[in-house]
Amino acid sequence: MSNTLDTTSRPGPTPDRTPPRDFLTGLWLIVTLELRQRVRGVAWYVLLGIFVMLVAAVTVLLWLSTTAWETGGGAVFSAVIFFVLLLGTFVSPALSGNAINGDRDIGTLATTQVTLISTGQLVLGKFGAAWITALAFLAAAVPFLLFAVTLGQVSHATVAVSVLVLAAELGVIAAVGVGLSGVVTRPLFSIVVTYLIVAALSVGTPIAFALLGTATKSQQTLTSPAGCRDPATTVDVPRFDRYWWVLAANPYVVVADASPGVFDAFGNPQDLFGWIAVGVRQAQVAPDLQGESPYCNSTGQYFGGDEKQPTPRELYDNAVPSWFVGLGIHLVLGAGALLWAWRRTITPARRLPAGHRVA
Amino acid sequence: MGSSAAQGITATGVSRSFGSVHAVRYATLAVPPGSVTALIGPNGAGKTTLLLMLASLLAPDTGTITIAGHDPVADPQAVRAAMGWMPDTLGSWPSLSVRAALEVTGRMYGMTRPAANARANELIGLTGLEALADRPSRVLSRGQKQRLSLARALVHSPAALLLDEPASGLDPTARVALRVLLRRLAGEGTAILVSSHVLSELDEMADAAVYLADGATASAERVALAGASARSWRIRSLDLAALEGSLRASGVSGTQTDHLGTLVQVDNEEAAADLLARLIGSGVRVCAFGPAVGDLEHTFLDLSLPEFNGGAAA
Repeated sequence: MSNTLDTTSRPGPTPDRTPPRDFLTGLWLIVTLELRQRVRGVAWYVLLGIFVMLVAAVTVLLWLSTTAWETGGGAVFSAVIFFVLLLGTFVSPALSGNAINGDRDIGTLATTQVTLISTGQLVLGKFGAAWITALAFLAAAVPFLLFAVTLGQVSHATVAVSVLVLAAELGVIAAVGVGLSGVVTRPLFSIVVTYLIVAALSVGTPIAFALLGTATKSQQTLTSPAGCRDPATTVDVPRFDRYWWVLAANPYVVVADASPGVFDAFGNPQDLFGWIAVGVRQAQVAPDLQGESPYCNSTGQYFGGDEKQPTPRELYDNAVPSWFVGLGIHLVLGAGALLWAWRRTITPARRLPAGHRVA
Repeated sequence: MGSSAAQGITATGVSRSFGSVHAVRYATLAVPPGSVTALIGPNGAGKTTLLLMLASLLAPDTGTITIAGHDPVADPQAVRAAMGWMPDTLGSWPSLSVRAALEVTGRMYGMTRPAANARANELIGLTGLEALADRPSRVLSRGQKQRLSLARALVHSPAALLLDEPASGLDPTARVALRVLLRRLAGEGTAILVSSHVLSELDEMADAAVYLADGATASAERVALAGASARSWRIRSLDLAALEGSLRASGVSGTQTDHLGTLVQVDNEEAAADLLARLIGSGVRVCAFGPAVGDLEHTFLDLSLPEFNGGAAA
């Protein structure tokens, strides 16, 4: 050991610094540390490479199967966006779900907390790193999105909105993962819970929607117009209109519903997003409980139900956009998880949950 | 406790419980700047919990703490700027090199990049980690991690230093270097609190000791009492028969001989000096004469006796 010890280098307050800039400097330090620590490495690039190959395969197959060179790239574009969201929901919980409790396990959380890094910088920095990691997948998919755009029929508004909303959804998953890692003591458990929440939103919402809608039925009375011989009939109809917001909380629905609808001359959607949006918005329409039987007119003649059905475009235009409800639910969920993690991680710790260690 | 102690490390009536477990019941200590105080106690006595409270990570249930004049509960940032903490768990960012880990820590204390880099190089030299500076910290051995952990605690040249078992896992050379380093830091005005089980080690570097048993620090009177009780001295002579004869003649009882020498019970240092004078006077060729256990160990063992622990609850 050498004998040089500089005791004059004690850091003092530097006058040219401002609190917000200091906050951001510390925040960025945590982001870069987290990226160096967690994601940089050969395994990470292999994962990204596999992802690019999968997206490439999906793009080419869709291009061939949808004859996109004739009909435009709308289907390819929306499928690639969904594919990025799907893989993001697979990878992001594993990379973010042990951000805080994993550090506690290897003993680097407390050594960070005794420095001038605040709990807010720590939690937000870890969230930022997890989000950037997820966005790397989106960035890797950009060439394929551009390819779909060059096929035509994809509006700039669709590109901008769907990419932004997808980025926000990836951020929500990162926030839930980091948040739970600060709340749950064991890393494995917080990762699993993050996966369960993501699964509940992606798969659970359609199931809940279908079950709730069909379980709560209303009686629809169909009266015959005067002059028709048929008696009034009653049928049970499912009330999906009461639960459309459940479906709105689905991340795929949020991305689909947010992008502006593009329709052809017959009022049919041009891409996957449009079809999903129409389907979800259709669910908002309450059934007419006091209807007229459509099979018999006032002259007593029968005819098939050739009453003019609304086109998908009309359904879409007449309903309330649901995406901001879903995105709102997601943002509250993500922000709440981060806030909870911040409360749990704050030091000096006063109340510790059972089995929770500071260091 | 004067104003000079308040600039170091003080704790007054500090307690902390986890549910029904009272980890620390009543801890009072003062480490003035420029001194090394040993924190000694059996396993589970609450040493680490006390250090976590001093390190601004855990809020005490009762009592007050000051580190370099600041209260860690009311103003943790001010405490953290002035305090270095070396934990008992050796945490390091596994994929970062030793140098990078020290640089990052420096920047966490608000240093600029060049300043953090310069300080990292300085500390690598100070802790003898030159050969490992650019290796990822996951390849370090326990002792090397220990040195990295010490270097990290020193990054911002803290005025108060809290070290939890700093010597465990260190080889003898590194232990000596640690002792020299801590004495020098104390000489430069740092207040240092060291918890350790290696009592002989602490004997050589600590100015004072705080005994913690069952979550309570022993009072000064109890420590003085324990330190003053009869203790064993070890005598080695070139002529064992002459030594034993002389001891019998002096009326010293309770002798016991092992391969290291002869153990005798002596009341205090004055009696020990008298005994040595008598032995030399009677022509016994004494080649070693000294306390069988160090001061700290003697006090520690005495305080750990049941009658003292009975007194601790009062």
